[in-house]
Order: sequence, then structure tokens, then C-alpha cells
Amino acid sequence: MKVGVLGIGKTPHKIQHEKSLKDLAVEAGRKAMNDAGVSPQDIQMLYVGNVGSVGFNYENSTGLMVAHHLGVVPAGAVRVEAACGTGAWALHLGCVAIASGLYDTVMVLGCEKMNDLATVEGTSIIAQAADSKEEYFSGLTFPSGTALTARKYMQTYGVTEEDLAHTSVKNHYYGARNPSAHLRFECTVEEVMKSAKVADPLKLYEVCPMTDAASALVLCRPEILESQPNRPQVFVTATSMASGTWYQATDTLDDGYNLFAGPAARAYEMAGVTASDIDVAEIYNSFAIQEPLGIEGLGFAKRGDGWKGAKDGSTWLDGKVAVNPSGGLLCKGHPLGATGATQAVDVIEQLRGVAPEGTQRKDAAIGISACRGGPGSVGAIHIYQREG
Amino acid sequence: MTVSAIEFSRLGPPKLHLFAMKCETCQALSPWWERSHCYKCGGDTLTESELAGTGEITNYTVVYYPPREYVGQEPYVVGHIMMDEGVTLPAPVMGVDPDAVEVGTRVAATLRRMKLGHEGDIYYSYKFVVDDDPAPRKKAPAATRSAVRKPAARKAATPTP
Repeated sequence: MKVGVLGIGKTPHKIQHEKSLKDLAVEAGRKAMNDAGVSPQDIQMLYVGNVGSVGFNYENSTGLMVAHHLGVVPAGAVRVEAACGTGAWALHLGCVAIASGLYDTVMVLGCEKMNDLATVEGTSIIAQAADSKEEYFSGLTFPSGTALTARKYMQTYGVTEEDLAHTSVKNHYYGARNPSAHLRFECTVEEVMKSAKVADPLKLYEVCPMTDAASALVLCRPEILESQPNRPQVFVTATSMASGTWYQATDTLDDGYNLFAGPAARAYEMAGVTASDIDVAEIYNSFAIQEPLGIEGLGFAKRGDGWKGAKDGSTWLDGKVAVNPSGGLLCKGHPLGATGATQAVDVIEQLRGVAPEGTQRKDAAIGISACRGGPGSVGAIHIYQREG
Repeated sequence: MTVSAIEFSRLGPPKLHLFAMKCETCQALSPWWERSHCYKCGGDTLTESELAGTGEITNYTVVYYPPREYVGQEPYVVGHIMMDEGVTLPAPVMGVDPDAVEVGTRVAATLRRMKLGHEGDIYYSYKFVVDDDPAPRKKAPAATRSAVRKPAARKAATPTP
């Protein structure tokens, strides 16, 4: 598979009380179109990833709303939703649309406006991405559900909270250097350990903030991009999706591993690369524990060792593979529907060589993004390659 | 989580007496919500199987930032309870110090007030308390459906969270 990346754009990732959901979507969409050198009427199909506008903003039909305000009417537009994997699912559909030969140029856009409500309301809305009426009736939330996974990981592999804290230290080192990140400060292991408890054993610096943001990509047939050699020649070369359990109580560590390992194996085969070829990876980490799980699922470390790279340096910028040089969701925040698209934009910036100073992987040519959603419900892998 | 009183008339029963779903194909037990499909073997016929109400904490977390309807109860402990029959259920664990929860602790189910609904209605559900009688036991086959065993040494069904 080969799909051209004609343009990318993203809004700052932060609390933006002055902007509405549609403001954010229009801003990211226009940036992507400007970057691509296309007009709204060149877009033949629009895929809008959004998780919770019904709850967060009391508005629905997000795909149609964005189509109207972005000016892509009368092209088709649809909203895509798959929990925290939403943005990556929109990207998958955009890739399929181009690869099928049905469309020449499409737009993928992810957006979420989370800060119109208080944290307690937002937490309740986010919990609806799991079975909030059955399993989460027990008082669970997404942070506490993931905390159970963290403790299980610690029990199984003999890992301590201090060991896991290195992941936050690494992410915050790079987040502090990413101008579009929500949280921009460095921290130490001691500061992670002392940060407020959110859901034991997860602490504040191991949890992403709620963020307002949108990100967009203009995708095209590869011939269109190749005919414009002055543009960065970056292509999506694999897209692979999976589903898994919708419950924490049935989510064993094996489930979490398979959620990435299955689609990653298919993606590597599709792109004709292996895990050791990857220069840069954006791995979903709304909670710090998910980064080592992702590292293992993608084959960068054996099971139980995924946390070590943040401590020994092998997942830092100059390590074997740069993992989350953007600062990850821990620093960028996790605007639910935007996140998968933001991960793609960040990897593509790396392959274009335009990542923020202090976060650019030298000579990055092959990248991967791994997004997940639900208790263990969505796995989404994309591989990107630069030519020339 | 927002549940209307009408909806809770459907969702309520599994919270008021303890049962698991048993797969007719592989005999494995799953939590009560797995009514249609066995996640372990793919079997599509599952039947209710009563639980004695005792088990062991195998995993836990402490919730400091609760969803709306649980505000005021934090910090509270939610455990994964491995029931003696061999199925893991998520449930609040009461009467334990959040800083001193121990995996391996024996617990028993008790009926408690869970939360206030958005219509002012009160939801009850089983929670777990430390078991004073630590011998594992299983439900006798002829047991009645009332199911939730109340620990003798504690006040039963006290409507406090």
C-alpha cells in the first residue's frame, strides 16, 4: 500500500477556552490544505474523527459540521468513532479510500474540545468508552482501570513504580521542547513519584491532561505527490487495525500485547520493513504504563522489558528507536478524537525533518504510529516512509 | 455513568445478587455481562451460575478522581476479586485503608448503597469487605437465588457507601 501525504496541520494542544470545536477543526483543516496546496473543493471525501462532542459540547453530526465550515461541501463527509483510537481510524479510512482507487484526494481530520466541562464531567464522558453501566458501575474510571493494568504489569514482571516513572521523565523532557504540547516542563523520577495520586499506582505525571485540539492530513494518490518533487515525499505504507476486549476484568496482559502485536506484524509485512528498521515511533500513552506495553507490542523490546528503554536511553532521541519525541500524550494531552491524527502528523514532521528543535530524530526515514482505545478495545498501526 | 430508573430495572439484578455466566461449550465462568458470547472460546450459549460471594483480592486500585456520581466517596478502593468459583469481578472494597490494601486478602460480598442516581434514586450493589472467615467455599448446587452472603461480624446492608 502507498498513500501520499500531501499536507499536514495541527492546532496547538492546550486548553483553549476562546475556541469552539468547529474553530479548532477549521484551523487544523485549513493548515493542512495550505500545506498541501489544495482548496476545499479539491477534497473529495472528509473523515472526521471525534469521540465525544455529544457529551463535551452538546453537539452531534461533527463530520457534517466540519464539512460545512471547512467548505468541502458537496463532498461526502462522515464522523468516525472508535474510542481513543478514533483519529487513527479516520486515517485508516482515508488510506483505504485512496488505496481503493475511488478517490484522488481526501482529508482526515481529528478534533476534540474537552475543556468546556469540568474534569469530573469529562471523566464520566470518557468512561463511556468502556462499559460504564456494567463494569465501571464498580466505580472504575479510565485512569483507575489502567491503574489495574499497571499493577498487573508490576506484579508479573517484578517492576517498581520508580522503574515506570522513567517513562514520564523521558516524555516530559521532549514535551518541554515541543511548542505545541499542552504540558511543557521537565521532571525527575522523584518529582513523578511525589506527584499527586490519581489512581494508585498511577500518579499525576503519569496521566495525560484533557486537551482541546485538532489535527488534519490531506492524503492523495502517490502519483500526485510524486509529480510534485519539491514537496516532501512522505507516504503512508501500512495501515492495520484490530479490536480487543471491551472490559478491564477480561483484559489480561496478553490481550494488551496482542492488541498491538497482531496489527503491527501485519503492518510490517505490508510495508516490507521490520521493527529494527523503525527510526521514530509515536506510541499511545495517555497513561505512562501504556508506553512500555506499546514498545513490547511493536517488537522493540521483549515482554516485560518495555520500560527499560526510558531508563537506559534506548528509546530516547538518539537511542535504538526514538519513542515519543513529541512528548507523547502525557505532554501533548489527549484530545480523544484528534490524538490518532496528531500522532500521524508528528511522525510525518519527523520524516520531513521539521520536528521542533531538540526533538528531531536525525535522518528519520521510517516511522510508525500506534494508537489504542477502550479498556483494550482498539489497536491501530500506521507506518510512514520517506523517499529521496 | 447515567442510568435511568427504567434502565436500571434491566441492569440492576446482576448488582443485587452475585452470579457469573457459565459457557456451555468450555464451562469457563465469565463476569455477568458476558451474556451473549464467551470471550474465552467463542461459545454462544451461556447460563447464569450463582456465586457464594467470597474470594480474594488479586489486583486493586485506589480512585482519587471519581466519576460524577461517586464524588464524595473518594479515595475508594476498587479491586479485582477472584471469586472462589474462578471468575474475576471488579468491585469496591470497603473498610480497608487505601494505603494498606494487600493482594491476597480474603473478602466477602455485602449489599451496600452504591451511589445516587441523577433522578435522586439510590442504587444498591454488592461491594466487598474483608472476610472474617477466611476458608474458601463454593456455592452449594441447591442454593437459593438470594445469593449475597452477609459477613456475620458486620452490620448488614447498612446504606452507607
